[in-house]
Amino acid sequence: MDFTFAPEHVALRRMIREFAQAEVVPLAMEIDREHRVPQETMRKLGEMGLLGVCFPQEYGGMGAGEIGYCILMEELGRVCTSTTTNVGAHIGIGAMVIYLDGNEEQKKRYLTPLARGEKIAAFGLTEPNAGSDAAAIRTRAVREGDSWILDGGKVFITNGGYADIITVMAVTDPALGARGGVTAFIVETDWEGFQVAREEDKMGIRGTSTAELVFEELRVPQENVLGKVGEGFVSFMKSLDMGRLTLGAACLGGAQASLEWAVRWAGTRKQFGAELAHKQSIQWMIANVATEVEALRSLVYRVGWMVDMGQPFTQLAAMCKLYGSEVASRAVDTALQIHGGLGLSRDFPLELAFRDARIAEIFEGTNEVQRIVIASNIFRERGVRIRP
Amino acid sequence: MRVVLIVGRVLDPQGFVVKAKAGRIFVNQETYLMQPADRCALEAALRIKDGTEAEVVVLPRRVLEDDDVLRRALAVGGDRAVALTGEQFAEADDGAMAGVLAAAVGRLEPVDLLLTGATTLDTGQGQLGVRLAEALGWPQIVGGWDVGIVDQNVEVVCRGEGGYVTCRVGLPAVVTVVPGALKLRYADGMRLINVYRDEGVVERWDVDDLVGEDAPAALLENRGREFPPERERGDRAAGNVTEMAQAAADALRQWVR
Repeated sequence: MDFTFAPEHVALRRMIREFAQAEVVPLAMEIDREHRVPQETMRKLGEMGLLGVCFPQEYGGMGAGEIGYCILMEELGRVCTSTTTNVGAHIGIGAMVIYLDGNEEQKKRYLTPLARGEKIAAFGLTEPNAGSDAAAIRTRAVREGDSWILDGGKVFITNGGYADIITVMAVTDPALGARGGVTAFIVETDWEGFQVAREEDKMGIRGTSTAELVFEELRVPQENVLGKVGEGFVSFMKSLDMGRLTLGAACLGGAQASLEWAVRWAGTRKQFGAELAHKQSIQWMIANVATEVEALRSLVYRVGWMVDMGQPFTQLAAMCKLYGSEVASRAVDTALQIHGGLGLSRDFPLELAFRDARIAEIFEGTNEVQRIVIASNIFRERGVRIRP
Repeated sequence: MRVVLIVGRVLDPQGFVVKAKAGRIFVNQETYLMQPADRCALEAALRIKDGTEAEVVVLPRRVLEDDDVLRRALAVGGDRAVALTGEQFAEADDGAMAGVLAAAVGRLEPVDLLLTGATTLDTGQGQLGVRLAEALGWPQIVGGWDVGIVDQNVEVVCRGEGGYVTCRVGLPAVVTVVPGALKLRYADGMRLINVYRDEGVVERWDVDDLVGEDAPAALLENRGREFPPERERGDRAAGNVTEMAQAAADALRQWVR
């Protein structure tokens, strides 16, 4: 088995790491303090083609595959969770559902400018009564001639405050529920009837837009139905599978960064006449984190390879998200513990990383939902259909 | 217009540790960077290309084991890259390489401008550009901060006493660029992927074909790899400053072919 990365992926990682150090790191603490989205970073990522890293070149993407996307998320995750979140919502779920289920016309019209970074995408799923229970959405779409009229709203939509294109899930047949009664739509945010109601003021990832959206008699043309009418739930779940893998990659980056901070500090901070690195308790903490980081790395890139090979990956993608988010949380918690009181100082990036890490166990399907997905897949393989 | 750019690689300083007490360098991670000054020269070449639609051809400072540094130059906008092969030149110094590269430039004629870094990160030397200008018989401007083309001249901003001066010389010419002068642009992602996937994107020339029987000899003798190197007593020049400078120049000329 050859575990080496292809030359193009090595070169890609090097370029992204240089970019992250030069362009993302200087803004990381500033965007947290100012609670703003780093639009300048998103623009530069777009100019480099990185906002379409995994999409085929025929649609304006880079053609680097899912491995390339994992590399992007890992390298950005090392330096700024907010930037990673913005990028992930754009590529991994917002644009991804158009790539997976859009027709050729929709891909040319919407995916190409998204892949080139000329427009930004968001993913409109969550509602006040529909978080983990995504099938309980109430936003309604009613057919009127050659259009659909959308009424309702979404909450906690990443990129929602500034996206140009939002892929929205709405109920088209209440009687059928999630299986046959939900449809996905491509919505342009400058259409009449679309409104950004408010922005969330959050504990972490404060460099992101997390918006509440309102649709009031929003007219969507028939040609903007994504996939087939009634199959929107399946489309969105497929997109979330892809997003979970790369969220795991982002968590890998964050965990790696935490490990490096901890090692650096333990190698320099002296107490009781010697560096912390000489204390067995510290050595064990470092060893635990390092082992988990390597295990996560193997999992993420194996699943990335499976996606690029066209193999089924739903269960393993859920594992990436589940394990990755928990490894990242444990890693940053360990790093904070090793830094002692200094870890809480806002002069260092560790406290920012600590606040930012928490969301990974919640969004894109809580870790409880991931465990259900994993268990369901395992039992299904053995002929047992469990009902969550 | 054709611009030839010479780029080299250097071991990434973040990958090794120098232990003075042990007298050794411990290489923990063998990764390579493009020479920082060559990166600036590359950006200068690309800016000229932006303004004049010039063709940028990339050559290596050395006969290299891999062509990664050439591909990197292509990824950010270089048009063509040529790697040099020939094991007998693997350890060649700047003196010998100047002769080889002059032959390569001859094969690429017509060439209007040759750019390279003014110094190297590992040795701190700035010989290659200067020796290449001598070998080609072209005028040279050393230590540029910014490079532009005006009519049929190259105009270079250099740091002078108390400020900056602008030097101008007719083409063809050799210009060396200092490290830190210009920030290299990022590669276009699609171009980067395609450059690294295409195995044939870098041409290969054999040094024997280039120089034939006129292979330039090395100027330096490799006596070993001890750290720190063994010190030798040299000659002492006497007299006033002018006389000492003349004596030093005469001594150096004895070694230049």
